[in-house]
Formats: sequence, C-alpha cells, structure tokens
Amino acid sequence: MDDLQYRRSIYADPTCQDADILAAQQADPAKKEFAQELIQLDERLKRAMQVPVPDGLCEKLILRQTLASHQQKKRKSRVHLALAASVAIIAGLTVNYLQFSNSFTNLGDYALAHVYHEKNDFSNDDKNQISLTSLNQKMIAFNGSFEQSLGQLISADYCRFDGMKSLHLVFKGITDTVTVFVVPKNEQLAFNKYFSDSKLQGESIDFKNTNIIVIADKNESLSQWQRAISDNVTWSI
Amino acid sequence: MPSQVSNNMATKQVRYEALVRALHTDLYRYAYWLTHDKQVSEDLVQETFLRAWRALDSLKDEKAAKSWLITILRRENARRFERKRFEMSEYEEANVMDTQSTSTEQEIENHWLREKMAQLPPEYSEPLVLQILGGYSGEDIATMLNLNKNTVMTRLFRARNQLKEALEKEPVTRGQYNG
Repeated sequence: MDDLQYRRSIYADPTCQDADILAAQQADPAKKEFAQELIQLDERLKRAMQVPVPDGLCEKLILRQTLASHQQKKRKSRVHLALAASVAIIAGLTVNYLQFSNSFTNLGDYALAHVYHEKNDFSNDDKNQISLTSLNQKMIAFNGSFEQSLGQLISADYCRFDGMKSLHLVFKGITDTVTVFVVPKNEQLAFNKYFSDSKLQGESIDFKNTNIIVIADKNESLSQWQRAISDNVTWSI
Repeated sequence: MPSQVSNNMATKQVRYEALVRALHTDLYRYAYWLTHDKQVSEDLVQETFLRAWRALDSLKDEKAAKSWLITILRRENARRFERKRFEMSEYEEANVMDTQSTSTEQEIENHWLREKMAQLPPEYSEPLVLQILGGYSGEDIATMLNLNKNTVMTRLFRARNQLKEALEKEPVTRGQYNG
C-alpha cells in the first residue's frame, strides 16, 4: 500500500481496521502515528460537534406528541359520530322508501295482494258488528258517509293501501268475507275497473277524490255491492 | 377489543417516550450540523418525532431507530427548502453556536472547530457528522444518504483533509486571538 493510498484511507476513516491498513501500520511507525493523530482530531471534532441541547427539549417532544395524539383522537371520534349519523340517515331513508314506495302498478293487483295478506285475520263467522256511526266517523277522513248499513260490518280500520292512508272494511258475505277499500286517488296506481284471479274478483268505483274497491269470492254479486255503495254514499266538499 | 386498543396505545406511548429519551440529543445535534441554526433544529426535531409517532408501527427493528429518525429528519429538512426557498441566504453565513461566555480552553477550541466545520460544504460535513457523532460506517452512511460508498469515502477524506489543513494554518496560540 503506497503512502497516498494509505493517507486517503485514514483520512476517510481513521479507525479503519482493514488487514492491509493494519499491516502498513505494523511496517511503518510513522503511519501508525499519523493514524493516531487523526483519531485524536476526531476526538476533538466529536467534542465540538456535541453542541448543547436546549433545556427541556425531551419533555417538549413528549408533550407535543401527547397533545397531538389527543387532538387526533378527538378528531377521530367526531368522524365516527358523523359516520354513525350518516348511516342512520341512510337507514331511515331506505326504510321510508321501502315502506311508502309503490311496488304495484295498479289498484287491482295491490288490492288482491292486500286481501290475501290479511286473509287469516277475518272469517265470515266473526260475530263482530261495527255500527254505522262508528263507520261514518272513520269516513270523515275521506269526506264521505254512508246513509245505511251495507250489511254486517266485521271490521273497519284505517290501513296503508300501498303507502296511502285508507279505510279497510270487512263485511260478512254469502260464503266468505267481502272486503271494501276506501282509497284516496293516486296517480301512481292505474285504475282498473274489473280485476280478478282464480279465487277472488274485484271491482272499483271511481268517485271524484276517492276510489272504492270491492273484493269478494266468485259467489258474490259485485254489481249488487257496487249499486248498494253508490246509492248509499254521499261525499261532502 | 377496546382494552386491547388502549393497551396498544399505551405500549406505543412507552416506546415513543423511550425513543425520544434515547435519541433526541443525537437527533438535535445532527439537525444542528445540518442547518446551523438552533431554532430551526429544534423545529425539525419536533416535526421529525411527530412523524415518527404516526409511523411508529412501521418501525420493527429498534436498532434501526436512529437511522430511521435521521432519514425522516433529512426529508423534513428538504421539505423546509421546498417551502421557503428564500431563506437560503440564512444558510450561507453559518451562524455558529456561541459558547464563548464560558471561555475555558476547551470551549475556545470547540468554538474554533465549530466555525471551521460550519465552513465545510454541507456535502462534506454531513457524512463527517454521521461518522463521528453517529458512529456509522461508510456503508451505513452511503445507504442513508443514497450515495455509493466510494463517494462517501472521498467526501470523508476531503472533509478531514480540509479541517486538518485549516488547523495547521492556524498559529499555535489561536485561542487568544479568536473571538
């Protein structure tokens, strides 16, 4: 190893322990002394580099982190709250949509589905009898009233007819109950005068603001019911 | 689950505080030799440790903590120049830490050496600080600075060479004339 190369290596790293460096130092005491000199310089440089650290820097660093992560946690919980609120709103809207949206396109289909759904709630043998007065009280919501009773009224209740408030009447029929719906007019449900399936038949009457739908089994004469209703009902303004 | 989360948080806090205690001195001094400014160094160290906290889970090997922090600090320092390039002028005339008030022989020498080190081009002084203060090998420094090892060794050679020449030019009684 020539002198220049040796000096370069020692200048770059005075504590170098490479075999050829050590060998060169062994062979030439001057080289060893040169390395010692630079190690000493390093010691002095190290002392000079150890500038004083500001008082309390350590505590400041820990404090700042504690504050920052506290802030972050607060931000996070706000985010969580906002998320929860959004989810709640969307859930609310979905329920609303499902409950009040029109899943049927015409009166008849919906009316039949409604009757089948409540089929087991009423029977032709029910002894219930609801008076004309209480029926007419319920009819106030539709600005209508009946002059005479149409037959034995088993049940009269408000219900949701595809999202609309309507009156659901169940009369005693010849072989099975006769269902009458009083429904406000709705543009979204197509009006159909006659409808039926294998068991039930239905007929709708179109009044000014209201439709009245009669559904019964095939033993009933719907036209008779229709006439009775049309003759009996009066509408106020 | 929540107790485990807070448990992890507590463990993280302990790790962080240990890291701060063990390494803030080295990191501050490194920042000082990078910026030659006490206030900027303190800000840099604060910013570095905040970033370190956020990324603490990615630090798997505690032995690598120091070089990891130094890497963060160098990045933060580079970002500082992107933000306010006009402050470069401050960098030119190195305002060296003044410790003259306690004028012992040792302090005078330190002051003189600091002045000389501050005059080194930053690309020479940075590896020198990493080697002498950080105790890193040429390979380590090359990795940290993204240079090849030969370049690092050449810069180290030039750094010491320049300092030694400056020392030899100075009269033996330099302390008395200085300051």
